[in-house]
Formats: sequence, structure tokens, C-alpha cells
Amino acid sequence: MRYGMVIDLKRCVGCQACTVACKSENGNGPGIMYTKVLDQVSGEYPNVRKQFVPVLCNHCKDAPCVRVCPTGATYKREDGLVLVDHNKCMGCRACYVACPYNNRIFLKRGKTKEGYYGKKLTPYEAVKYPEHQDGIVEKCKFCVDRIDAGLTETSCTQTCPADARIFGDIDDPESKVSRLIRSRGGRQPLCEDDTDPSVYYLD
Amino acid sequence: MKQSEMVAQKDYWAKSACKMCIHTCAIRAHVVDGVVVKIEGDPDNPGNRGKLCPKGQAGINRLYDPHRVKTPLKRTNPEKGVGVDPKWVPISWEEALSTTAEKLKSVREDDPRKLLVSINDFHRIHIWGWGAAFGSPHYFSTVGQYCGAAYHPTNGILDGAFAAINDYDHCKYWIQIGAGDGFSAHLHLASSIKRMADARVNRGMKLVVVEPRMSAGAAKADEWIATRPGTDRAFVLGMIYTMLYELNVYDAWFIRKHTNGIHLIQKDGNLLRNPENNKAMVWDTATSQARDFDAEMDIQDMALEGSYQVNGVECRPAFQVIKDSLADHTPERMSEICSVSAATIRRIAKEYSDAASIGSDITLDGKEYPYRPAAVNYYRGAIGHVDGGLDALAMKLVNLIVGNIDVPGGHLGVGLNHQQLIIEEGQDGMMKPQPHLLHPPGAFTTKPDSFQMIEWYPIGIDPGHLCAANIMDPEHFGYDYQPEALIIEHSNPMWNLSQTPKVKEVFEKLKFIVAIDIVLNESSDWADIVLPDLSYLESDLLICIESPMVTGYFYRRPVIKPLYDGRDATDILSDLAERIGFLPNWNGLLNHTCFLAPEYHLEPDKVYGNLELTDRMAKSIYGPDQGLEWFQEHGHATRLLRPDELYMSAAQKGLRIPIYFNFIKEVGEDLDKKMKAAGREWDTSSYLPVPVWRDSHPLHNVDPEFDMYAFAFKEAQSNFSESTTMPWIEEVISCQPIHLGVMINGKTAKAKGIKTGDVLKIESPFGEVTGLARVTEEVHPECIAISNTISRWSRHPVGKRRITTHFNQLLPADVKWTDGMTGHLETSTRVKLTVVAE
Amino acid sequence: MGRSIPLVEKEFVSGFRQQKEWAGLIASAFFFGKVGSGLFIMSVFLPSKLGMLVGLMIVLCGKGGAHMLYLGRPMRFWRGMARPGSAWVSRGIWAMTFMMISGFALFAVPQDSALYLPLAIFAVISAFVVAVYDGFLLTSSPAIPIWNTALMPVMCMFYSFLGGTTMVMFMAHFSIIQLSAEFTTLLPNLEIGLLVANLLIVLLFLVGSINTGSAGRASFDLLVKGPYAVPFFSLAIGVGLVFTLLMSVFGGAHAGVGTVALITVADLVGHFFIFFLLLKIGVFKPVLGFLKI
Repeated sequence: MRYGMVIDLKRCVGCQACTVACKSENGNGPGIMYTKVLDQVSGEYPNVRKQFVPVLCNHCKDAPCVRVCPTGATYKREDGLVLVDHNKCMGCRACYVACPYNNRIFLKRGKTKEGYYGKKLTPYEAVKYPEHQDGIVEKCKFCVDRIDAGLTETSCTQTCPADARIFGDIDDPESKVSRLIRSRGGRQPLCEDDTDPSVYYLD
Repeated sequence: MKQSEMVAQKDYWAKSACKMCIHTCAIRAHVVDGVVVKIEGDPDNPGNRGKLCPKGQAGINRLYDPHRVKTPLKRTNPEKGVGVDPKWVPISWEEALSTTAEKLKSVREDDPRKLLVSINDFHRIHIWGWGAAFGSPHYFSTVGQYCGAAYHPTNGILDGAFAAINDYDHCKYWIQIGAGDGFSAHLHLASSIKRMADARVNRGMKLVVVEPRMSAGAAKADEWIATRPGTDRAFVLGMIYTMLYELNVYDAWFIRKHTNGIHLIQKDGNLLRNPENNKAMVWDTATSQARDFDAEMDIQDMALEGSYQVNGVECRPAFQVIKDSLADHTPERMSEICSVSAATIRRIAKEYSDAASIGSDITLDGKEYPYRPAAVNYYRGAIGHVDGGLDALAMKLVNLIVGNIDVPGGHLGVGLNHQQLIIEEGQDGMMKPQPHLLHPPGAFTTKPDSFQMIEWYPIGIDPGHLCAANIMDPEHFGYDYQPEALIIEHSNPMWNLSQTPKVKEVFEKLKFIVAIDIVLNESSDWADIVLPDLSYLESDLLICIESPMVTGYFYRRPVIKPLYDGRDATDILSDLAERIGFLPNWNGLLNHTCFLAPEYHLEPDKVYGNLELTDRMAKSIYGPDQGLEWFQEHGHATRLLRPDELYMSAAQKGLRIPIYFNFIKEVGEDLDKKMKAAGREWDTSSYLPVPVWRDSHPLHNVDPEFDMYAFAFKEAQSNFSESTTMPWIEEVISCQPIHLGVMINGKTAKAKGIKTGDVLKIESPFGEVTGLARVTEEVHPECIAISNTISRWSRHPVGKRRITTHFNQLLPADVKWTDGMTGHLETSTRVKLTVVAE
Repeated sequence: MGRSIPLVEKEFVSGFRQQKEWAGLIASAFFFGKVGSGLFIMSVFLPSKLGMLVGLMIVLCGKGGAHMLYLGRPMRFWRGMARPGSAWVSRGIWAMTFMMISGFALFAVPQDSALYLPLAIFAVISAFVVAVYDGFLLTSSPAIPIWNTALMPVMCMFYSFLGGTTMVMFMAHFSIIQLSAEFTTLLPNLEIGLLVANLLIVLLFLVGSINTGSAGRASFDLLVKGPYAVPFFSLAIGVGLVFTLLMSVFGGAHAGVGTVALITVADLVGHFFIFFLLLKIGVFKPVLGFLKI
């Protein structure tokens, strides 16, 4: 069992529904985005190529963040999820500089106390922000709460209008993600770093 | 589940319908302890299938916006202006409604036309006519106008549709011109993106995107072809020339069987009619004579080409007239206009013709249909121009020629509501043209009554952008009254109309403004009284807008109890109608706009609440057992359209659709006659039966000092309305390069010495704005492209930029710059750039 | 791939991203750790109890203080000791703890005690680890190629020795500590030698980093051409190494306390800035390296 995600760059239209769905699911405050879609533009007019590249925590099998974490706050679960125990993290940010994908976010002190409209939180913010702690590092959790509740989709894959993000078990050769990786030649980002990411890109 | 039972639960998912754009995706909201903590697409709905765009996700932002209007408000600062604090004080509903009613009643008693109306809630089309019931003909806004005065009427004229889309399920070669379908905007975005991705990736559909800026669609396309703004018609006409004159490709069977391409046309462009019975005539090649269109004839024998003498009158089949009208539209000439090489025009025409598989059939649900898997889809970018009507007709023509209208794989009409396409019998075996699906046409008057002059645009949609000029210069067209009050409902004329300084002058003139909305905007900042509406997550509505894949009503239900002391806008307007004294008119209108069956008609003098109205509407459409309670129990009544509903709607009723648009010509001639009789000078030259290129287009004849084209754009994050004041959306777009400034091509920028971050003065012949330069390769070298997300200046704290670039200020707003045929305003302009700071 | 890849800040654009978290306070911690442990090691050899004490205090208060100020959750600092098996941060905390315990214990144990020598060796080794573990910490991070070089710990070691030497020289000239005659002659030469060595290592580092791939190259460009070139060449190289070297060679330790003070300040400024700038220029690789840009 190893949860992973396939991102089909052919399908992604850069709408950022995943970015916002993720914020909504996790109650992420200003500036905190576990996932986002990057533009990658090359060439000169009129021969321009523009790709939309969603990025998120890759839940690497050999995760540098787990290795460098001095507290054990960052850990790897049996099912492949790389998670941060909010109660253990001391905020040293060694994981931040160790993550080749630059996908870890440090929550500055006071960050969880302030919403989009200042210190007075909206009812939604008042419910969601206390789920966070400040002074620690956060990142995409592969929607662990959803997964543990038995759902089969993360918030971003659930909403992705293009079905460009697909979640599943990459250890199961018959899963949709595994079949896509095989048939379309899925590639892992920065595979030269030997981190063995659980996110595969199809292009 | 009953509403009261549902909201009594501690933790539940409530199904409802989204309203973060004008369309409707089915949603479900997760509510915990009375707080909405997540909105997702409804996985059970066949339309969006659980998918939701970023704006839909951000509905939570709108619901819990602390700047929502929470109670009725009264202005205490008499001074009004941009950025001026109105010093709102909360007042009771009674005070707010009685003050408003009193003011409007006195206006109405004096002259109801002194009320300007800006009611633009696209989800509640049934209330748009409130102004008309009041007695005011005005439309002081631009909503439907902007999206398609040239688009919707031409769809209605072609096949009784309101919108149109290519067939996601079967198209194999999709040309998309100035449209965001399947990527960033337009019909049911979340549903469309998935279907477009499936077509592209699963079925290998080829996509060609034609537009001056590389949108998300162009980025995903197999080919991006950049045109000058307002010249897409030239590109398409060049394709048609290639098909007719060089490739000799057209679907003769389709044109003979399903269009008026066979009708004989006289030299003056009018139909040849049998003098005995006034019927349109067709040339029968078997007997070499003209015959009535409905005479028994082998379809092969109906002439499409040639020139004939009938009783001494020279005439040609309409198809021949089309061909002859385009004889000088060579790819070379069109290339000069649109900046796409002649070779590219020819190549695309060839690929398109080949892909259309003319002559092939497909069997769906056991029924055989013609199969034309190539189609041109287009939207506002292509037609939002002077001569936009002709633009739209050209796009239709390129589809008609390959016989792909309303057939699998082709270009499909999309209805305005649950009625789908409105197919009624017209003249000469044709479908009746339906240019007026939103409201009945304004009858001609010798002097315009409405400030938007709808009386003089017989097939247009209200050109609201003309109001300000006519109000400020009433003598020009002879208005003998001046507006005194304005009612705004979910609209923002100050922001969405062009020529903003003039609009501001109108606002300054008005003695009383009342606004109904959720959050204040550039316009309602000027109001005297504000009445809080319920948000979409707090109110009931049956809704079905321009749905391309499903039919039936979505049920928008309150997912929580209303947060504040708001009232449903329908209820507010009913209450005001009663207080002002025109309730019978209003109820009569609702009977019509809510599709109420006679047994559910409203009594003239009784105020009906929105819930009662919704219940009657549901029962009228679905029968007595399917009222509001049914919807509360079962949710949406939507299902996928069946092939027999999607395809061949006119043909199924034995009616032809136009390929030669004589209806438009006839309307133009009629208008011309009336204008001449009234002693008015009025240009009706754009009412043409065949779309041609006209060099007179003002956009391409501007003083060369304005050396660049300028246009505005939106993407998925800012599709339609209600975007930039939502923090999640604002946060995302403030990280996206295309929304960070004025896009200018790298080579052009270099030649002009412009760098990213420079502050530009952008001057058009009509106005001036400043903007931050953003050098990019994603735009045509002769253009600047301006995101609509950098245009806000309301008092709302979210979404404002250091430098506001409000594109509309650069646009003209007068008759010269309005499409004569449809009333569409010109949405592109010409500018010159000066660097004012680095 | 190559020069056209942009250096991106918060924009949603694929490109190089600068690390933004490790900056002033981490650089301060590195600085105090190296200067303090360098001074401590030198002082053990001299021997100078005061030097040892100052060294320990610099590490404890300077390095420890900077870390505590930096940590998002300082009260959980002890949790950082949990993973010495894999995490250099844990190893650093352990080394600091050992250095403190053994270092302060040296004050309690008489110099002629049999315990003193092993304790001193242990303290010196701990201090040495404190001086160089940041180098390993940076090297072990695969994300930022310019840090990913074996020269990092070497550079840390030499900077630590240089810092310690400078501090000892400073304290001796200001008569805070007493040096034996041989040390008095040795120190200025050691200083010059270490300055030359550091200059060479920095040069080697620069040459080596040209070939650390496109992201390393982006870092390199930031350092020698970009916004950090001025502080790098003026403060880290000019003031910290060249000026100090020239002063040491031509003025020398004999030119008086003013000169020594100047050398010390210049050396410390250079020392702080070299690591500060090395942190600042940390650039991540673009995520999808395989996509053609």
C-alpha cells in the first residue's frame, strides 16, 4: 500500500481549482498553499509553449524531510503518507531546506491567529484555523483525514475539473494511477535526487 | 429533507446549486455546527459530476465576507463620490422599504421613465422585468449585452438557441475562436473542462485556438493562431473562401435538406416569391424551372449553384449568392486583415474540411444522425465588436457549410433554460427566428424611449452602454426627460459600463439610488439605501441557465439559516411593487417569467413570497406532485440530455434553418424604412444576409498614433462575475503573471523600451488609464491584454491593486462604436503607450 | 534548460526558487558556533580558562540564543535531540550539549586530575563537531545544489579555526588572556596561514559551484553577479579575507592593538557574511527538471 498521485499535464488547464479546494479543505490562512499550479512558459512568440504544472508534497519514499527532521515530527506512514506531527515540530525548518520540491511551509508566529480580514476571524476561519499551530512547518497531507475516514479522493483530486489529478495506490498494479503510470510513462519529479516521489507526472 | 429538519442537524452535507458565476453547477456544502466548512461539486449530478471551479470553491469567502450587507443601510453622508465614505447607518426594513417606496412612488407618479434600472442577477432572470412592470424601459447596465448582444440573437436566429457549443462527446477537430469553453469561461465551466479534457486526451481531438492572447485554451491547444482583435471574421471568411473556391468542399446534402441555401434570391438580395401564393421558390434542375419551396422534388434536383431567369427576373440560389458575395475574400486579402498567413488559413480550412467527414453518419440510441466531427466554437472575443453580428454569422456560416449544425460532432445550440431550443414554425418552411429569448423586442418609436435605444435595435440586446451618453446629451436623439432615480440589483453599472467618467456624471445627477446586494461595489457605494439580499447559500431558487449537457432544474436551497437580516431579492422587489402600487403588473410578469401554468397564476393584488413562487413554478413545470417539497426531498431535477434532444431539433419538426440570413436583411430594411419615414439618419448597412468583411470597421481605422490594440480578458479564476473581492481567488490571481499587469509582447516591449514593472500611461481615443507593464510572449505583438482582475476600486478591501487598470475606461460608448445589427458594444480598442515611471 | 529559467518569488511560475527561511538568525548561529568553538579549542590548547569560558559562552549564548530566537517553537528545542541517527540538527544539539557539559566540567576538574585529559579531548571533539556540523547539515540537503559539496564542512572547519585564532589574538593583545612566547610568535603566522587557506577554499568553492547544475549556477550567479555580489566581494572576501590578510602581512600583530582590533572586526564581519550569503543564495531546482524550458 502506497498512496500516490498522478498528475496529467495534458489535462491540467491551470484553473487553480485544486489550489483553492486545498485551502478550503485545510483551512489554510493567507499565504499558505499546500498545492498550486505553476505556469511553465518557453519559446518566443508565436512559437510559445505553456504548460500548467501542479505541485504539491511528493510524499517521497525516501523523503529527505523525514531524514533531516531532528524531532521525528515528520514521519512516514505505512501507507506512504509523509506527515508532520504538529505537536512535535519545533520549527527548525531543516525539512524546508531539505525538500527538493520546495513544498514545505513555515507558519510564522501569529499566523494562525490572523485571517484574511485581520484578527477577527470569519466563522469559517474560527472553525478551521485552530486545527493549525503556528511556529511549525506544514505541508500537503494527502488529505489524511479524508483518507482515514474512508474517502478515496483528496480534496484536490475530488474537485479537479479536468481530472488531471488522480489519487490512488501506486503499489497496486491494477489501480488507475498505476495503469496510467505504465501506459503513459509517468515520471517522477527530480528523480535524480533519489527521493522516489509518490507523485508521477504524465506529459 | 425539510429545510428545518436539515439545518437542525449538527453535521450534514446539503445539496444546492452554485452561484459564483452566471451558470449553475450542482454543489454540496458541508455544514458543521451551523458553519459551512467546505463546498464541493455534487458527485451525483450528471452535469459537473462532482467537479467545481476555483470560484465555486471560494463561495465560502462570499458567504462569510465580513463586508456583507447585514441589515438595511441608510447613507448619512450626502456627499457621493469615488472613495467617499457613505457613512452607512443600519435602519429597519420598514424604514428602508417605506423610504425607498416613497421615493420611487413619486418618481413613478411623475414619469416612470425617470427610473433607471440595473437588475442583472443572471440567476433570477424572472426579476429582470421589474423595471418594465414599474413602467421604466431602461436598462442601465451591460450584462447580457456584454456577453453577447451579437451572440445570443444570432444563435436564436440560427436554431432557436441562446448559446452554442461544439459537441464535446463527438467532435474531433475543434476550432475555438475568442472563447473559453472547456478551459476558462463560458457554459458550465466545471462540467466543460472535464469534457474538453476527455475529448483532447482520451479521444485525441485536435484543437485549434484562434485569439490574440494565449489563454489556457490556447496553451492546451494543438495550435494557437494569433489574430488581431476584431478580425476573426476575416480569418473565418478566408477559410470559407478556401473551402468554396479552392477545395470545393461543402455539405450539399445538408444545405439542400436542412437550410434555405436552395431558396432563389433576386438581385436585390430578397427572396424570389411566387406571385400567386407568396411562397419562396427553388430551382428544380430536373425540370429546369422554379418551383415552390414545398413542391415535391428530389433533393438532388434542388439547385445550389447557378443563375436563372424566372419570369424575366434574374435570380440565384441563396448558396450561390453566398459564394458570390465572398468571391473577393481570398486568404491573401483576409491575411492582410487578420495577420494570419494565407497558408495557415488554407491549411486550417483543409484540415477542418477533411475532419468534417461530410457524408458520414452515426447511430446513437438506435437512431441515425449525420456525423460531422469538426466545428468552430466562438464566443465574446470573436463577436464583441462593431459588426459583431456579421462576425457571429460568419462563424455560423463556416459551420453550416460543412453541415454540422445540431448534429453529432458539430456545433450545437444551447437553450437559455429548461425549454431548450425554441423551435417554432416560421415562413417558407423555415424555423421562426428567435432573436429575443430574454425579453420581447422593443417596438419601434420615432424617437427612442429607452436610454439604451432598444427601439432602434430590433434584433439586438439592450445596448446599456449607450445610456450614459444619451442621459448626458438628451437633445441629440430627443429625450425630453431626465432620470432621477436608480435601482440596482446584483449589478455594477459604474464598473461594467464603458466610458466610466460619463457614467459617473449620471450617478452624480441621480437624486435617489437604492441597491439590493450582498456586498457593496463601485455602484452601490453611491446608494442612498441598501437592502441586503440573501446569499446563494441562504436562499431558494429553481435554476437552469444555458446548460449544454443537462436539462431540468437545479434546486438551489439554503444550506444554512440566513446569517444576517437579509431578504430574498424577489421578496424585496415584490414588497416594493406593492408599496409603490404596481403589484398587478409585477405579478402578471412573474406569471410569465416563472412559466406559471394558468392554474398557478398569481392573483394580481396579493404579495407572494419567493417560496410560494418557487413552489408554483415547480408545479407548473413538473406537475402538481413535484412542488418545492419534492425538490427539498429529492434535490435537483436534472438529467443528461438525450441525443434526440441534443441533435436535429429543427429537422425533427421538418423545419429548415437559415444559411442565408434574409431575416436579418428584412429587419434591416424595415428599420431603414421606418427611420427614413421618421426623418432619422441611421446606419442599417450591417443588416446583411451574408457575412462579408467590411473595411469600414472603426477599430481598424483609428488614428495610427494609437498604434496598439487593447482588449480585456478573464480566466477560470475570474470567469463572469463575483471574483476579485474573494480572498482565496485574489490570493491565487495575485500570484499569476497574467493577472499582474498589462500584458505586452516581448519584441514590442523591446522596441518601445518597456520593461516588466514599468508604469504605463495607456491612452485610447476615448480614455486613459495607468497600468504596470508585464512583458510576455503570450500575446500578439500588436496588442496589449488587460486582465479584468486588476480593475477594481470599490471600498471593499479585498482585490484592490496598487495600480488599478480599469479597461472599460478605454472603451467608447456611442452609436458609432456599436454594432448596428445587434447593438453589441465594441470591446476592443486602440491605444498608445507611454512609460511614466520605471 | 539553461539561462532562460526564471528566478521566481511568490509567483506561480516554474523556475528557480530561493530558500527564504534560513537567513540572519541561522547565519548568526553558524557564526557564533564556529567562532565560539574555535576559541574554545584554541583555548584548551593554550591553555586559557578564560578563553575556554568565553568560547563556551559564545556558543551557549550566541549560538544557543540565535537558535532559540529562530525556532518556531523554542520550548520544544529538546525534541530536536530525538533523531541523531539521521538528522544533523540532532547531532548538532547533542554535540553542543556534550561541549557544554564537558567544557564546563573542565573548570571543576583539576588540571592534574587523570580525568582532565580525556575530558578535554572529549570537549574538543564535541566543540569540533559543533564547528563543522553545519557544513554537514548543508551538504546533506539534496535540495539546494550549491550547498551540496564536500567543501562545506571543510570550509566550516577552517573558518572556525580562523575565528578562534583571531579571537585569541584579540584577547591576548588586549591582555585579557596571557600567551606563552611560542604562541605569541606562532599566532600571527597561523592567522596568515588560515586566511590564505580560507581564501583558497572559498575560491575552490566558487570554481566548484559553477558545475553544480543549473540551480547551483543560479546560486553562483546570485553570489557573484546578482544582488549579493556587492556584499560578497566587499564584505565576505574584501573585508573578511583580503583586508585581514593584507593587514596581517603588512601591519601584522605587532602594529598595535588598534590594528589587531581592526583585523578582528574585519575577520568576524567576513565570517558572518560568508555564511549569511551562502544561506541566502540557496536556490532550489525547478521541480520538473525534465520538462524542456
